[in-house]
Amino acid sequence: MSAHAIVIGAGANELVAAHYLARAGRKVTVIEAYTMHDAEGWIPPPIVRDLGLDGAGLKVGRADPWLTIPLPDGGRLALPQDVMQSAEAIRRVSPHDAERWPAFCARMASLARMLQTLYEAPPPDPTRGGLRERARQARLGLRLRGIGRKEIAELFRVLPMSVADWLDDWFETDALKGALGAAGIRHLRHGPRAGGTAFALLHRHVGEPPGVFRPATSNVMDALAKLPGIEIRRGVEISGIEVRAGTVAGVTLASGEHIAAPVVVSGLDPRRTLLDLVDPGWLDPELVRALRNIRSRGVSARVDVTVARAPGFAVLAVAPSLDFLERASDDAKYGRISREPYLEVRAGAPTVDGRYRLNVHVQYAPYALAEGDWDAARRSALGDMVVHSLAAHLSGGDDAVTERSVLTPRDLEGTAGWPEGQPHHAELALDQFLWMRPVPALARYRTPVAGLFLCGPAMHPGGGVGVAGAHATREILRR
Amino acid sequence: MVKKCDAIVIGGGHNGLVCAAYLARAGKRALVLERREVLGGAALSEEVFPGFTFSVFSYVVSLLRPEIIRDLDLPRHGLHILPLESTLTPLPDGGHIAQWNDHDQNRHELARHSLRDAEAYDELGRLLHQMARAVRPLLGMLPPDPASLRVRDLASLARLGGHLRGLAPEHFHALHKLLTMSSADYLDEWFETEALKATKSASGIIGTMLGPRSPGTAYVLLHHYMGELDGVFRAWGFAKGGNGSVSAAIAAAARRFGAEIRTGAPVANVIVKGHRAVGVALESGEEIQAKVVVSGADPRRTFLDLLGPGQLPDDFVAAIRRFRFRGASGKVNLALAELPRFAGLPDAGPHLRGAISISPSVDYLERAYDEAKYGEFSRRPYLDIVIPSLLDPAMAPPGKHVMSIFAQYAPYALNGGWTDARREAFGDAVIDTITEYAPNLKGAILHRQVITPADIERTVGLTEGNIFQGELTLQQMFFFRPVPAWARYATPVPGLYQCGAGTHPGGGVMGASGRLAAQAILGEKA
Repeated sequence: MSAHAIVIGAGANELVAAHYLARAGRKVTVIEAYTMHDAEGWIPPPIVRDLGLDGAGLKVGRADPWLTIPLPDGGRLALPQDVMQSAEAIRRVSPHDAERWPAFCARMASLARMLQTLYEAPPPDPTRGGLRERARQARLGLRLRGIGRKEIAELFRVLPMSVADWLDDWFETDALKGALGAAGIRHLRHGPRAGGTAFALLHRHVGEPPGVFRPATSNVMDALAKLPGIEIRRGVEISGIEVRAGTVAGVTLASGEHIAAPVVVSGLDPRRTLLDLVDPGWLDPELVRALRNIRSRGVSARVDVTVARAPGFAVLAVAPSLDFLERASDDAKYGRISREPYLEVRAGAPTVDGRYRLNVHVQYAPYALAEGDWDAARRSALGDMVVHSLAAHLSGGDDAVTERSVLTPRDLEGTAGWPEGQPHHAELALDQFLWMRPVPALARYRTPVAGLFLCGPAMHPGGGVGVAGAHATREILRR
Repeated sequence: MVKKCDAIVIGGGHNGLVCAAYLARAGKRALVLERREVLGGAALSEEVFPGFTFSVFSYVVSLLRPEIIRDLDLPRHGLHILPLESTLTPLPDGGHIAQWNDHDQNRHELARHSLRDAEAYDELGRLLHQMARAVRPLLGMLPPDPASLRVRDLASLARLGGHLRGLAPEHFHALHKLLTMSSADYLDEWFETEALKATKSASGIIGTMLGPRSPGTAYVLLHHYMGELDGVFRAWGFAKGGNGSVSAAIAAAARRFGAEIRTGAPVANVIVKGHRAVGVALESGEEIQAKVVVSGADPRRTFLDLLGPGQLPDDFVAAIRRFRFRGASGKVNLALAELPRFAGLPDAGPHLRGAISISPSVDYLERAYDEAKYGEFSRRPYLDIVIPSLLDPAMAPPGKHVMSIFAQYAPYALNGGWTDARREAFGDAVIDTITEYAPNLKGAILHRQVITPADIERTVGLTEGNIFQGELTLQQMFFFRPVPAWARYATPVPGLYQCGAGTHPGGGVMGASGRLAAQAILGEKA
């Protein structure tokens, strides 16, 4: 059997890449390698338009209020999407913070717009001097300057800051700073006082409306899967990528089946793609070293619970202060599960029997434990702790939860293919950003093996639904 | 107004003196006004106990710009640098690891712990040497304003861009990593020996409230290689007579060029007339006129204390208020009856003539940081120890010694504030820590002086006791130091300039800020 292009993985990036290739006239086979989780985040309008996702029934949902924050006095602060309304909500907690909220939202929006401009194209390569590259960079520079010259300087100032310093400059309320700061450390091993976490907050704000600091959810995975034009093979396992004379020849499945193709696009993490699936003899030792140095430390677990009564929120952030987050990260620093982890709870629609599914993000639960391993006892203990912590925020207390399932970072590595449980495949940090993502030699989605491309979240920009997949196809079709 | 001169320099710290010397050298009548009776600011030697002289605050010379040494002819004015040959890291198990300037000796020592690290050390050294060469021109450059459309700034930005473009791709990428990574992560890519990683990464946290695993701390690794490039002396050294003799040599050079230096002359405020700085008023009531006023004080003192309210734009004041100081370190100076004896090492071997670093592992440094994050001093702090009397016997009576201990973390914002009792408790923690490695130390102490960030602020006037006049983090460096668009030594008040370490490139006994400020003043007045 043969195909014009094989896409490994059936996540948003892979499906977007597959559809773009199909629209360019390629015959595409998608091999589902792992269980896919819901895609969160902004969907660039050009992708929606190009692929006709609206016609495929795409629905983007943003909860309003988009975040609920428990307060120390037992009350809750709910933040509506409308900036002025959320300012009013904040006023009950702190008039000072309410005054600053609109300016903060505006500043974040303009900084995120600059990042989005950088994200809308493959990364620039400042070390290449070709005319085409220079022209591209000049255009990018002009677009950035168009947003505001002062904002460029401000972006450079804010990116390396700690999210704690950045928020301390604006606000006084611990609960507000904790809930906002949590977005800056999500999936990072650092605490909010580490440099570069302001960048992470900003990164997660890209594409979202001003004043909303949590990503949108959508049925984009269903919509992408429903679109015609590509073949998706589910439930198969890939065992190798074949290379002949430095050029990709196809893939081999665990069943022994061979599929020949002149183009293979992998959404798996670069280490798995190049060090496990490709014979490493094709790689330069310097590249192998760089690949091994990609940081992908997983720090979170996922707990799904079912509760009998309506939770009374759409998204609840249990992160009472920046110090709380910092202390939680202290544990992870030494390879321990946080004694008091940061929890973020997303409520799903009611089930047919009238119960509610809650999805709980638990951080920090480090992949690499200093003592012992992620065995059944640890998994169960983590579940107990989360259910217990959650009880304080649900009506019904300790009995509120009727069912639960726990995915540790090790489970997520095995089922979702996240290296070390890290969903971004390569941590979102400034040294793994733009032309450095995931390593300079691979930043343009190409690999040293001709015809083999990368399109996963380890690739620039590492966020947004399908953006890396769309950029990768641009590079593939440029040949 | 009784007096008139071309330039008044507020503060006789080393940057102020360098600035005055350059202004005087260009024929300007420069007057330095120092609040204390002694010159040097934090580069100061003092006979704290009879017969025992200390570099009370800063204690090594690392980056003093060679062009300053040359231009001001400092060796003729008494500057003599004694090289530091090694860094010893004692280990809790009684072992140790040392780094030596001598290549073969170093390789031999590292190979004792890890052959791979001995190889990597050379490779990293070569890379950082090349990187330092690439970055060094930036230290001597007036930072452009990236938001400006003025020809001067655009040309300067283009030069900067051209410089970065001119780098080989692997050097460009290495520079990106050094600017954005944590020193611990960066060193993890090279070494496997914990104590080596910890000792090297400690340079990235000095003076800053960040842990070695925080991004942004790797950049300082480069500094160690810049001094070496200059070819004048090794990266780290002592000034004979203590760091006060650096200040004294610069002051002598300044006087020789015709500058006037007054001590015991605290400035109360800068006099502004018609939106222009026209002189200063001393606390004594005396007023002195000048065409230009240059402040060597840190940005907060300069703009919030020395200028009255309403003389600066609101957004500028807001930027100064958010400029971060957060002193993180203290000093303990000891007069010793005998040398410390480290386990497994001969009493007075060459290892004592260099730096001694208490940094057995990255986790050790992180734990020290953890306490400081929540407002406590480290019970087991990171220490950088030198024994200057071994290199310069005149620092102590015959047979006796002075020990200078830099200790981190000692947060300025200590829970409950710094009291005498807390200061001594911090001193005890420092001494107890060393005693774990050199058991005879406690019994050898004749006198001790403990200096907290609060003491540094009170004595030398450095806000929150920050030894760099403001944290040297990426967001406070280069064109952001101290305020975006105001990184070229001029200020929103015409006639008022800054020349302290709170400006680019800042930090360490470098003198570059003073020199660049003088250039900026002379360039605009020429």
